[in-house]
Amino acid sequence: MSYEDPIKSVSEGAIKGLLNWSFDVVKNLASKFKDKELAFIQDEKTIRTVKEQYNSGELAIYKEYVKDKNILFLLKMGLTLRKLEEEKEDERKKNLRNKIFDRYGVKGVHISQLVENGILNRYIGILIEGIVSLEKFKEDLRNVLENIEQHVIFVRVGDQGRNIIKQAITITSSHSPIIFIVSGIFSAAEIVRDCERKLIELLNDYTMEKISSKNKENLFFRRILR
Amino acid sequence: MEFVSLKQVSPQSKILLLKELGYDSDGEFVLHKNGNKILDRYLEIPIKIENMVILQGSEIILDDNELSLSKYLEEFGDVL
Repeated sequence: MSYEDPIKSVSEGAIKGLLNWSFDVVKNLASKFKDKELAFIQDEKTIRTVKEQYNSGELAIYKEYVKDKNILFLLKMGLTLRKLEEEKEDERKKNLRNKIFDRYGVKGVHISQLVENGILNRYIGILIEGIVSLEKFKEDLRNVLENIEQHVIFVRVGDQGRNIIKQAITITSSHSPIIFIVSGIFSAAEIVRDCERKLIELLNDYTMEKISSKNKENLFFRRILR
Repeated sequence: MEFVSLKQVSPQSKILLLKELGYDSDGEFVLHKNGNKILDRYLEIPIKIENMVILQGSEIILDDNELSLSKYLEEFGDVL
């Protein structure tokens, strides 16, 4: 029996357009499940999205340089968030972000956001431009991922510009990161734009480059090596 | 592996299916036979029948979200 058949054929008596399966159909499906012939899912698109990230080339590159399994998983979640954003699956994206927060806390969300916003790829690009050795590169990458709060400010809607600037000065003077990032999306992108001039003026040990789009503003400050 | 979508299936049919597989439901959550709520293996949250997926690998019932499904793939390999 095809599994198109039971689903399509038992609509009689359906409530609110939902399908009712007869006892025989349920028995048959359960038997096939026990024989490992099928799985019960909600939406095949979700499975496709997850599998795409599981097999993605970008993840394969991260796997080369990041060995911590939890961090790698969060990078994968970042790819998934980006995919959901591309597909305008706002509810699923919000739900996934909440699940990441519940399981991994705010740090987990930030690590995922690093990938989602394309920050990590540019960060890796900057590291490669000044690469001394592969070991140093891996160490720098590990350092940013494990201590993300010392390298990136994720601006949120409602944040005050002056607090962002104060936080940027505190972080750069305490930790002297080689690359320091201020990132905002949607309404928060505007807050980042508003801080840009002041940040350039105050972070005079750094040069700035940015990746901007309508909804994103990422400022990369690279420490000047003297 | 064939997929059967539960998205458009009535709650009554889902409960019937759960019972046939040795589980139960209070109409909202997936339960063990003893009445305890089954928790999503990776998030440790109760699973609503409207949002459940039932996957291979010792009959795994999960909440339908990308995090749990990704964890499942990591644990069981590319089985879907």
